[in-house]
Parts: sequence; structure tokens; C-alpha cells
Amino acid sequence: MQPILDGLTLSPWEPGLFSLAIYGLMVLGLVSLLLFFASWLGEKKSNPEKLRPYESGIIPTGSARLRYPVPFFLVAIFFLIFDVEAAYIFSWAISYDSLGWAGWLQISFFIFVLLLGLLYIWKKGGLEWGPTSKQD
Amino acid sequence: MIPENFIQSNLQGISFIGPELILTLAILLILLVGVLLPYWRHRILFTILAVAGLAGSVLPLWKLPQPAPDLTYLSNLFVWDWLTFLSKPFFAVVGVLTILLTQVTGEIDNSEYSECTILVLAVTMGMMLLVASTDLLMIYLAFETMGILSYLLVGIRARDERSGEAALKYVLYGAFTSGTMLFGFSLLFGLAGSTDLLAISQKVAFASQHPQDRLLLIVAILFFLAGLLFKTASFPFHFWCPDVYEGAPTPITAFLSVGPKAAGFVLFIRLFYPLFATGHDATIYEAVSGLDWPSILALVSAITMTLGNLAAIHQNNLKRLLAYSSIAHAGYLLMGIVSLSDLGLRSVVFYLVVYLFMNVGAFAVVAMVASAGGSEEIDSYRGLGARAPYVCVAMAIFLFSLIGLPPFAGFVGKVYLFAAVIYKKIYWLAVVAALNTVISLYYYLRIVKAMFLEKPTETIQIQVPLSSRVLLLALLVPTLGLGIYWQPLARVVSGMF
Repeated sequence: MQPILDGLTLSPWEPGLFSLAIYGLMVLGLVSLLLFFASWLGEKKSNPEKLRPYESGIIPTGSARLRYPVPFFLVAIFFLIFDVEAAYIFSWAISYDSLGWAGWLQISFFIFVLLLGLLYIWKKGGLEWGPTSKQD
Repeated sequence: MIPENFIQSNLQGISFIGPELILTLAILLILLVGVLLPYWRHRILFTILAVAGLAGSVLPLWKLPQPAPDLTYLSNLFVWDWLTFLSKPFFAVVGVLTILLTQVTGEIDNSEYSECTILVLAVTMGMMLLVASTDLLMIYLAFETMGILSYLLVGIRARDERSGEAALKYVLYGAFTSGTMLFGFSLLFGLAGSTDLLAISQKVAFASQHPQDRLLLIVAILFFLAGLLFKTASFPFHFWCPDVYEGAPTPITAFLSVGPKAAGFVLFIRLFYPLFATGHDATIYEAVSGLDWPSILALVSAITMTLGNLAAIHQNNLKRLLAYSSIAHAGYLLMGIVSLSDLGLRSVVFYLVVYLFMNVGAFAVVAMVASAGGSEEIDSYRGLGARAPYVCVAMAIFLFSLIGLPPFAGFVGKVYLFAAVIYKKIYWLAVVAALNTVISLYYYLRIVKAMFLEKPTETIQIQVPLSSRVLLLALLVPTLGLGIYWQPLARVVSGMF
């Protein structure tokens, strides 16, 4: 059996927790030092203009927290599910010839399950857009 | 072009996943009935369909060939050994008990009942797939089938805030830990160039000789542990357990505390023994040199049981108390994994079977008391012995069995676990476990004391329906019976490894 790295390593890397710890501490120290100096030496004068989200002069209007309608997410998830399932059907279609009738039966069952899923979300009101859904 | 024999062997392999296929058909049938008959939502119909599906899933097992350790099917994705063979009826029983419990307690609304049975069946199917898998990809797929659907089960009461909170906590922890485990899988795949456990195991023994690869293996093992310890609710990944167990509907809590936990332990056996242990002779294993995972697990086991038992002392909500008790039991069960011998593996499986009956029993009593007008707080158990004697005696028996007192099944299971550890000469762990048993005596007996020695606040008799009594009896018989006559189970289990 061949060794997994087989002497072809680019550099003689000897893993050591000690050097990793030293390195980590140095990074931590440097970052905290920089942040400390920035907050200690930096000027702090705040006025309403500076506290605006955009300092470019554009006055913000309205709230940034828009509420998307929930059915949007539902439809997105349904699309995702059925889209991913299509990938399985493609893989069957590619090897359609060699899989024969057994493969046909299996993919038919698979599509049947998908249709059943579609029926389920339809009946449950998952496809209805608006407040008139059955869930209310 | 796909070779003809490949297709043939795959078609033959389908007969081996008969149990899962029958469960799938049952799921589709319940889905169809639930959708087409929305105004005719009788719980009993779904219960019958689900129980029939679970019972039917066990039937094909006896038509299939004798299990053998090297009999694989579906392109080496699954192995057909005794562990696979016997795990399937075990999980079917877990599913049946859960569904019957949801039926008798009525904790889940009629409008969500068909989905609940579907999800229980689907999680059961995931667990059945998981225990048979010997391929990293299949293991992960089955692991997530089990995981994602059990998050849904926890949040099945969509309008209940606590249920939703529990589900969200479960999802976040679960996503984090299973992602970590997947990272571990990818490291192992990068090292070995294969997802087949058998192929990987040959590389691992060799790779552990090299310091670079050994570090990689250690990282991979630690990452695996994240996923596995999460599912078994063991020490660093146990935080979700009390909140999820408290927020979920009680039958689902019972299901989670035995089903995915048992699947997690079987996965321990599936993953760690072929990969990171070498069989000495047929009965004793040794960790692959340089990878001292048994010591890590021994430490985890000791901390898990101590933490679970100490935290359980102060709980006043019975579901939280049983959640911490289930953490402690994960610690006991880990002792069997640590002991690296067939004796240890047998004791784990034996204890899981025993634990199924006694733990589901304890949760069943909690659910029944809550649905009969009581609550889950220990206060409502005060003097309950006089008001509902049958249920309280049953509860006492389940609790005594959970402690591990002699005439009950829990005692035999614990003896096997202790024996495995002592046989391997890990005395300190045995001492810790013994001390923990003493601690656990306190909080289990606190419930028994509240039920029988304290004055009741009300005197009205609690009416427990006949169906609940029968279900309790079905759980009591194995809890008592396996404590007195456990040889049949021991014989079955010792044939497995």
C-alpha cells in the first residue's frame, strides 16, 4: 500500500499544537492592540449627520425592515424541492436505454410520489397567495 | 454505458430495503388519505394505517437471507448483518409505541395528527436506513432524514410557542453538529479517497502511522463526535435536550429519547469500530494506535452521567427531569462503547432494548397524567398514588428500573454495562457510574415519594382510559419480564457480535 502523502509534501510540515497556539496568541494580540489604539487615539465627535446610515448626503426614507409576504418563502421552498427532484429525473433520462423497464417503473413511482406531494401542498393551501387561504 | 450486472445486482438489492419500501408505501397512503378526506379526520384510521405499516415493515425480514457481516447490497451502501437485521424490528417497535401513545393521550390536535404519524414513520425509516449504512454518504443522508424530520416532529404543534422554540433550538444545534460531522466525513474522504467504510478502514490503520495524517484523523474523530454526541444527547452537545424534551409533545419526547438516541449509538458501533479499532481476536478490540478515542469517550461518558444526574436533582418539571435522566443514561451507554469488546457492544444493545420500554413507560405516565387533568410539574404528582393507583405503581416500576434496582430490567442492563467496563479494567469509570447511580436514586425516588408518601391536594380519582392502561401494561411486561427472565434477549444479543 502506498503512503498517503508519499514524501511529496511541499514543505516538511510538522503539525504542532504549541506553534499553533503561539501563532493564535500573536494574531489575537495584534488585533486587540490595533483595535485598542484605534479607539484610544481616534477622534470621537458624533453629530446626527455622521450617524446617518449613508454619509453620502442621501436622506434615508422609510424603514429598512420590509416584511415580505410569507407565501413568497413557501413558493421558493416548493420550487427548490421540485427543482432538485428534476435532477434525479435527468440522471434517469441519461441512462434510459440501459435501465429498461425496471428503471421506467422506478422513475414512474418517483414521479408519482412527486405528484402526490404537489397534491398535498395544493390541498393544504400552500399555493394560495393572499389572506383567503385555508390556513386562516 | 452501465454494465448489465450492476443493474441486476441493484435490482436484487431492492429486496433488502423491503422494510423501508413498505414504510414508504404506508407514508404515501396516509398522506393520500389525509389529503383526500380532510373532513373525515378520525385519528384511529391513521393510527391503524401507521401501525399496520410498521408491523408490515418487519414482515419481509424473514423472507431475506441469513445476515452475514460481509453481505452488502445496493453498491456497498448497506450491510446486511445481525445489527441491521435486529435493529429494524427494534425501531418498528419504537414507532408503534410512539403512535399508540399519541393515540391514547390526545396531545396532538386532530388537524395535525396525520402529519404526525407520517413524520414518525419517516423518522423510523431514516433510522432503519441509518443502522444499515456502511457508506459515509448514505450515513449522512439517513442521519439527516432522521434529523430534519425529527425537528419537524418537535414543532408539530405549530401554534404552540414552546413547541416552536424547542424546534428552533433543535434545528440550530442539529444543523451545527451535523455540519461539523459532515466536515469530518470530508476530511476522511480526502484522506482515503473513498466513502466506503471498509475501504477507509484499510487506509486509516496505515495513515495513523504518519504524524500529519494522524492529526487529520484526530480532527476527523472529534468532528464525528459532534454529530454523534448531539444525537445521543451526551456531554458537550447536550444543551438542547432539556428544552427540546420539555417543549415537544410528550409522545414525541418519548420517541426522541429512545429512537434517535439508539440510532446514534448504533452509528457509534458502525462508525468507530470498523474505522478506528482493530479486532484482536473475535471479542476484544483495540483502538488504532495513536488514536486514543476510547479515553476521550470514557471522559465524556463520566462527565455526561455526572452532569445529567446532578442537573436532574433540581428539576420540578417531570419532562425536564426525565430529559436530564436521559442525558445520564447516554453516559451509562457510552461505557459500553468505551469498553472496546463484544461484551461492551452487547451490553449497549441490551441496555437500549431495556431502556426503550422503561423510558417510554415513564414518559407515557407523564403524558397520561397530563392528559387526565394533571400537569407535568411534580406538584401535581403529590398524593397521586391514592388517586390513580395503577398508573402510579407503573410509574414507580419504570423509575425503579431506570435507577437499576434488582428485580427490574434496568438492573440487568446496568450489570452488563458495568461488567463490560470492569472486564476492560477501567475501574475509575465503574466507580463514577456507581456513584452516579446513587445520586440518581435521590431524584427518581423524589417522584415516588411525592406519589405515595405525600398528602394529596385533591381527592378525586383520576380516570385513566382503558386504552392507556393496556398500553402501560404492554410496557410493564417487558420491564418486569426482562428483569427476571432476560436470557432470550441476552442470547439474541450475543449472536449479534
